[in-house]
Amino acid sequence: MLMAKKSQVSPALAAVGFAGLLVVLLPVIALLSRVPWSNLAAQLTSESSINAIRVSIISSVLAALIAVVLGVPLAWYLARGPEVITKWLRPIVISPLVMPPTVAGLALLTLMGRNGLLGNFIYEQTGWAMPFTMAAVVLAGAFVGMPFLVLVVEAVFRQIPIELEEAAQTLGANPSRVFWRISFPLARGGVISGLVLAWARALGEFGATLTFAGSLPGVTRTLPMEVYVAMEVDPASAYSISAMLILIAVIVVFLLRSNLIQAFNGK
Amino acid sequence: MRNTFRGITFLIAIAVLSACSTGSNKGASDVSSSPESQNVVTVFAASSLTKSFTEIGKQFEVENPGTKIVFSFGASSTLAEQINSGAPADVFASASRKSMDSVSAEIPASKVFATNRVVVAFPVAKPLAAVIDLNNPAIKWVQCDHQVPCGSVADAALKADGVTGTPVSLEPDVKSVTGKLTTLEVDAAIIYATDVKSSGADFSFLEFSNLEKATTKYPIGVTLSASSKAQAFVDFALSDVGQKVLRDAGFGSPS
Repeated sequence: MLMAKKSQVSPALAAVGFAGLLVVLLPVIALLSRVPWSNLAAQLTSESSINAIRVSIISSVLAALIAVVLGVPLAWYLARGPEVITKWLRPIVISPLVMPPTVAGLALLTLMGRNGLLGNFIYEQTGWAMPFTMAAVVLAGAFVGMPFLVLVVEAVFRQIPIELEEAAQTLGANPSRVFWRISFPLARGGVISGLVLAWARALGEFGATLTFAGSLPGVTRTLPMEVYVAMEVDPASAYSISAMLILIAVIVVFLLRSNLIQAFNGK
Repeated sequence: MRNTFRGITFLIAIAVLSACSTGSNKGASDVSSSPESQNVVTVFAASSLTKSFTEIGKQFEVENPGTKIVFSFGASSTLAEQINSGAPADVFASASRKSMDSVSAEIPASKVFATNRVVVAFPVAKPLAAVIDLNNPAIKWVQCDHQVPCGSVADAALKADGVTGTPVSLEPDVKSVTGKLTTLEVDAAIIYATDVKSSGADFSFLEFSNLEKATTKYPIGVTLSASSKAQAFVDFALSDVGQKVLRDAGFGSPS
């Protein structure tokens, strides 16, 4: 295989690129410089921090699971379904990506709130309403996280040569078998990337969760909300939690690096 | 070509992920920063002052042509933090003495220009009989977080009335609390009398029994680096014209 020689980057472009790097890097470095490193363990094990960590981890993992269970079949349909339908379906599925979080929260509220289109029926029948429960945090996370998963997974599904699937079909495999035996195993890397992305997005969600689920410590107050509340009163706590969230972000991006490249180039 | 296109879409998605995941732009609206200009007054004011101060600002601009008032509304504690971090405020109208005291380095002198009181607001369609009903676990109610000005005064008033029940949420500012009420997600909300008034006829309220504990004084002050018209704005807010707007909105008089 011919190894292409990497083209050299002009110094001017490198300089501009470096400025771009600084835009991302400097604020993070500034934040990390304010973290009370010597006191970190104590900060992160305070009652409010532990509550927020627990709420965030449980809700974001559940949100990611919902996103993958519902999102992979959806991505499969978008990748292989009839174009006349998928070309309209795709923007709808992706829309939470460009929706302001508070708008997303309001949308969820008007559906599942006590007086919501669906929520009202449930409330009348059972006396239970979704807002102010951890279920609401999970739903908000799934709502904002699933589009990322669908975006990545559809891209990966599309890169599977259709000939492979067609060959399986001519050999007698039904669509379900084709999916589980051929397409899904080949897309596994993309599914994992999508899962991690959806999880990271759900973890970071603030606006939708605040509007839809509220902010009760131990129940619905997630790590980003804890940072927001702690910012004025207990900056040390805010910086400590921020450091932890940044570390998670770095790990996520590091884990996904090869999968991201794969999603772009298709191996 | 298709891969590139998808790649670009993906990049945009990542960009939006990074932009969205910290959501919320509370407490900061577009603040024009031109310290050289004599004719822009930047006013940082508590959320509860949104309607009344916007009106006062309009009237001030009419009486002072060439001067523009730019507002940034938010939780007093957030605004105070921003001022201490160097935000270009000329005037600070706070919903709490504590927040004003915390910016004493930037604002050495302040004056009380209005008072407000927290009340127990509820939808007229489902009235609350008494404040003590908040102890009933079937009643869903919300208040501001304890560390925010509207929350600490709510705590004091609730305690004086013997309320020991817990709210379903502790919101970061009074706007969020009011939002939970106006979307009818809760049966009651501890908000300012002014917020109930601006929510319209569908909402009413109960008074706390200890009015003194429920009342909060709003101080206003000018920053050291303030533009020339800043003091004029403060004087306007304290004048009969300004006070009338505040009174109409439900604020109490400063004395």
